[in-house]
Amino acid sequence: MHDKLIQKLEILSDAAKYDASCASGSAGKRKAGKTEKTGIGSLTGGSGICHSFTPDGRCVSLLKILMTNYCIYDCHYCINRVSSSVRRARFTVKETVDLTLNFYKRNYIEGLFLSSGIVGSPDHTMESMVRIAKSLRVEHGFKGYIHLKTIPNASPELQAEAGLYADRLSINIEMPTQPSLNKYAPEKDLGAIHGSMNTLKDKIAEHKVDKTYRGKRPPRFAPGGQSTQMIIGADDSNDKVILSTSVKLYSQQKLRRVYYSAFSPIPDASEVLPLRPAPLIREHRLYQADWLLRFYGFNLEEIVHDDMLDMDHDPKLAWALRNRHVFPIDLNKADKMLLLRIPGLGARTVQKILAIRRYTKLSWMDLTKMRLPLQKLKPFISVCDYSPAIHLLESNNFELQFKPPKQIELFGA
Amino acid sequence: MKTISINSVPGYSEWRTASRECLAQSIAPEHIVWQGSQSLQDDLFGDAEQSPGVCEAQTRHRIPNSVLVLFNYALCHRDTSRFALCYRVLWRVIFENKNLIELKTDKDVLHLYTLAKAVKRDAYKMSAFLRFRGVTLDGQEHFIAWYEPEHYSLEIKLDFFKTRFKNMRWSILTPYRAAHWDTEKLILEDNPDPSVFPEDDRIEKYWLTYYANIFNPARIKKDAMLSSMPKKYWKNMPETALIDDMIRESDTRARRMINDGSKQTPKR
Repeated sequence: MHDKLIQKLEILSDAAKYDASCASGSAGKRKAGKTEKTGIGSLTGGSGICHSFTPDGRCVSLLKILMTNYCIYDCHYCINRVSSSVRRARFTVKETVDLTLNFYKRNYIEGLFLSSGIVGSPDHTMESMVRIAKSLRVEHGFKGYIHLKTIPNASPELQAEAGLYADRLSINIEMPTQPSLNKYAPEKDLGAIHGSMNTLKDKIAEHKVDKTYRGKRPPRFAPGGQSTQMIIGADDSNDKVILSTSVKLYSQQKLRRVYYSAFSPIPDASEVLPLRPAPLIREHRLYQADWLLRFYGFNLEEIVHDDMLDMDHDPKLAWALRNRHVFPIDLNKADKMLLLRIPGLGARTVQKILAIRRYTKLSWMDLTKMRLPLQKLKPFISVCDYSPAIHLLESNNFELQFKPPKQIELFGA
Repeated sequence: MKTISINSVPGYSEWRTASRECLAQSIAPEHIVWQGSQSLQDDLFGDAEQSPGVCEAQTRHRIPNSVLVLFNYALCHRDTSRFALCYRVLWRVIFENKNLIELKTDKDVLHLYTLAKAVKRDAYKMSAFLRFRGVTLDGQEHFIAWYEPEHYSLEIKLDFFKTRFKNMRWSILTPYRAAHWDTEKLILEDNPDPSVFPEDDRIEKYWLTYYANIFNPARIKKDAMLSSMPKKYWKNMPETALIDDMIRESDTRARRMINDGSKQTPKR
């Protein structure tokens, strides 16, 4: 007899693979108390463990599934839209809970990432998802990670309850602008999505405030914050539009993470979609730019020179090439913010350099011992016994040395 | 010249005791030969008695915690030079520079970090790639794993497994040592019998199904996978048996996705 559950799992994990987010972002530490005789799991703090890797290079950290791929909406980019002829399935609450616990006990996963198509109504769907999270937490004492993809337009009460059990909540914004949403996701409304994000933001912030005068904290609410995802290359939004949307999401809605997912063709696609996948390198460059914005003190105008990011060079190198007058930078003297701007130096290396500098002066020999990418660094830095030949930075074909060899693309024209 | 044999693995506490005694007698690193055993069997032929007599009154040395943490990792490395290296660093931290380990360009410090980093990574991979299989023993569910760490990483990860699977009965078997947990007590057993590891598990087929379906065939990045999950780990991970087929079929699957995509969507 063929196993029904296997079939469901095939359909509902296949349907979840288009979601880029795989991390179990930091939601603090958690474990079962000494006297707790039931319950399972822990959060180790930091980002979660990657329990496996698939041939697409992505980490498998969570059981990432859809509760159901039945859906009443008709978003063109989505394989589960109502007009698609894809096979449909639905997990029961118990099936989802058992699968999560059984996987967790075998050390396959860090927890559950649950999203869903909309069945019946947004509230009905959200309620079932909350029941799954509640059963895991309350009945089974599950201490692992839970990420719920919030259903837009679900009632604030249900969202509040979701936050009690989930470590992270997310709502996908999908497209950076309202016109693109109108075209590709006619039932979705940017205003409503922002509204839901703001509600979550306030709830999360409420919990983070100091204890009240009675010494009680407001109830726990999604300690891992919220994240979202934008699909890249399905609509014609340029990188500047995409990144300025991200900047707003980080600053106004206080999102923890914005994921970028290069549009990838889906079976039985709608005809308004492009037939070719967006280049993965664009997604990669957007992530790099996103990092520079959040951790390296760059602002948007510095990174996006034209409307699109430079595909040949990473955004930091591209900035350096446009701003050669800043270099070379003295590794023994420059302050942290300046060190962070040197192509080839990551945040960790900068930290290391700052630590060493307190005790000794860095020499070229030291740099080789630290195994830095010297070929890349060479023109941009100086240390006590080295400074770059002046022609390195000024030659006209300077950037050519950083051009990567052309790669053959799988779907290249 | 003094010879010290460390007979246990990883040998952290033996090294600690011996180092304390050597420090108390102010024996410089260059006057000590450290001998570590490669495996537990060596015990049988180990030197009978080496440890020096009763300690003299000890001077207390303050060792920064960050150094001890590094030692803890580095001493779980298989490299038998680890004992001499750690003692040398200890000596230099006390008599030369208390901030020595900040000097990440110093030869000893670099070596120490290299060892510690290798163990840290090995231990992390153990917590990630170890797989339990369930069996029923005396009516109770019991989970058993067989894992071959590169270094002595079991001791590093015991707390992790005890915390995460506190209310589960489990056994982790490695070639040199096993740990058994009954929800309250931890029992260690040297040179365990690997044949205890079950052939099968009732949930594994669901895991394989999940693994095969969660990956996107339109974006193969084999090198990215291999850098995070090199082949040396594959033998103890059931899902890796699927990888070759997944890659071989990915092109066909991805093209089918596109071809299907160009079909007209049926109007409802």
